[in-house]
Amino acid sequence: MKYEDVVCPFCGCLCDDLEVSVEDGHVSDVKNACGISRSKFMNHGANRLEHPTVDGKKVSLEKAVEEAVSLLSKAERPLVYGLSSTECGAISKAVEIAETTGGILDNTSSVCHGPTILALQQVGESKASLGEIRNRADLVIFWGSNPTEAHIRHITRYSGMPKGMYVPEGRKGRKIIAVDVRKTGSTKLADQFVKVRPGSDFELLQALRACVRGQELPVEEVAGVPMAQIKELADQMKNARFGIVFFGLGLTQSDGRHMNIDAAVGLVAELNRHTKFVLTPMRGHYNVAGANTVTTWQTGYPYAVDFSRGYPRYNPGEFTSIDLLSRGEVDATLVVASDPASTFPADAAANLAKMPVVTLEQKTTPTIMLSKVAIPVATAGIEAEGTAYRMDGIPLRLKKLVEPPKGIHPDEEVLSMILIGLKEAKR
Amino acid sequence: MDRIEVTLISGRTARQGVGLEEGKLSERYIQSVNAVFLNPEDASNLGLVKGGLVKVSTEHGCVTAHWSGDSGLDRGMAFFPYGPWANQLYASSTEGTGMPQFKGIRATVSAGDGRKVPTIQEIVDSMRGGKAL
Repeated sequence: MKYEDVVCPFCGCLCDDLEVSVEDGHVSDVKNACGISRSKFMNHGANRLEHPTVDGKKVSLEKAVEEAVSLLSKAERPLVYGLSSTECGAISKAVEIAETTGGILDNTSSVCHGPTILALQQVGESKASLGEIRNRADLVIFWGSNPTEAHIRHITRYSGMPKGMYVPEGRKGRKIIAVDVRKTGSTKLADQFVKVRPGSDFELLQALRACVRGQELPVEEVAGVPMAQIKELADQMKNARFGIVFFGLGLTQSDGRHMNIDAAVGLVAELNRHTKFVLTPMRGHYNVAGANTVTTWQTGYPYAVDFSRGYPRYNPGEFTSIDLLSRGEVDATLVVASDPASTFPADAAANLAKMPVVTLEQKTTPTIMLSKVAIPVATAGIEAEGTAYRMDGIPLRLKKLVEPPKGIHPDEEVLSMILIGLKEAKR
Repeated sequence: MDRIEVTLISGRTARQGVGLEEGKLSERYIQSVNAVFLNPEDASNLGLVKGGLVKVSTEHGCVTAHWSGDSGLDRGMAFFPYGPWANQLYASSTEGTGMPQFKGIRATVSAGDGRKVPTIQEIVDSMRGGKAL
C-alpha cells in the first residue's frame, strides 16, 4: 500500500509530500524524504524498547503506570519535560499531568529557541508562512542556522529553489546570504557568506540596523565584518522586494542569547520602513512549535510553567529545566519524547540521575538508561496519528501508516493512563 | 605545540540526525557525536595523527574524543556535534535565561595520547555518581 502526502515527523519543516510504501505492516520504502527522514521511516522499527521496565526489570504496562503514578504523586516538585517530538494530544495530557501534580511543565525550547520566545514576547515579530516565503521571497538570509545539515529540504522545498508566484525564476530569482561563524554546507550554497566573529552577532545586527537607518559608523569593521560589506548588505536588504531572516541556534545559544533575537527583530522592524521583511526561527524538533502552542493555549505560557501554587506561573531562568536541575530543586521527572541526558550539560544531567525518572520513549537512550520507569510508546506520524505545528506555526495532520508493535501505545494513551492514576491518587 | 586555545561551538549535523533515528546506542550515532572537528592546520601543529584522539577541556570539564579536520573552521575554532560527549564541557549556568551557553566557549585542545574515548555506558555511569570520566 502506498501513502501519499505523508508528513515527516523529524524537523520543523514538516515536509508534507512524502510517499511511503507499506508492505506486510512494515514501511518498505519512502520517497521525497531527506536522509534523516528516510532514516526515521526505515529504522523506526529498529532497536525498539520491547516492554515497560521498572528498575530495569520487565513489567506489565499497568505495573509501570502504577509505579509512575506512585513516584509522581509522592514527589514534592515534579518536572514534566520534553514534548517536542510527539503530537499535540500527548502534549495536552502532559500539561494536565503537570497541573494535577502541582509540578513544573517545560519543553525542549528551554535549550533551543527559548531565548527567541523571550525576545518575541518583548518586541513582537513580523512573520510569514513558509508558503508566502516560497511564493514571494527574493532575499533569503540564514543567520546562525545551517539548513543543509539540520533542515535538509528547507532550501529546496521552501526558501531557495522553488519557483514561486512572484519568484518565477526560482533559485535564480532569489539571493541567498548566510551569516555564520564558520563555513558550512549552507554558506557554500549561498550567494554570499558573511563571516561573523563568534559571540558578536548582536554587534553585527545593530551595525546593520544603524546602516539601514542611514547612520554612519566611524569604524572599519564590526564583529569581524568590514564596514563596506555591512553597508552593501544593508542596501541589499533595503532593496529586496520581500526579505526573510531564518535564524537558528547560532543566535540563541551564543553570547547575548535573547538579546541577539531582540536585535534581529529590531533590524527587521527597521527594514519594514523600506520594504517587506520578516523573520522565522528554524525550529528543530518537528513539534517543538506545537509544544509551545499547546502549552500557551492551555496555560497562557509557552514553556517554563510552574503549577505549585495551583495556577500557572511563568518564569524562564527559574522554571526552566536546566535551572531547576542545577539547583537540585526537582525530586522526580517525567520525560516524554526527549533525551535530556544527551542534551543537557553534564551537571544538570547528573542531577537528573539522582531522582526517579519516568520516561516514555521508542528506543534506548541515555535517559532511558538512567530511568527508574521506562515505557515504550508508538512513533507519532508513523504508528500513531496526531497534529504537529510547523516552524511557521502552521498545524499539519500526522498520519498513522502502520500498527505499533504489540502492546505498545501512543504517548497520549499512556499519559492518559498516568493522568487517571494521578487523579485517583489525589482523591 | 602541546595544546591550543580554541573557541568551541556545538551544533547539529546530518550524520547525527541519521544516526539518532537508528538509535542512540547505534554505532552510527555514537561515531557522529564523539568526535570534535578542528582546523587542519591546528591539528597539524598539535602533531595529531589521523585516527588519534584529543583531549578537550574547558573550565567546566574535559572529555577525550576522536577528531576530524574541517577546513571550514578558522584556526582557533573547534566544532563539537551536540551529544553526551560534548555535554561534558558545558556549564549548567543559564544567566537567568534558561539557556546554557553551547556556542562560543573557551576550550583547550591537546593530544589524547594514552587516553580512551568514554563509552556511552561510562558516561551514563558517571552521571549516576559512578567513576568520573
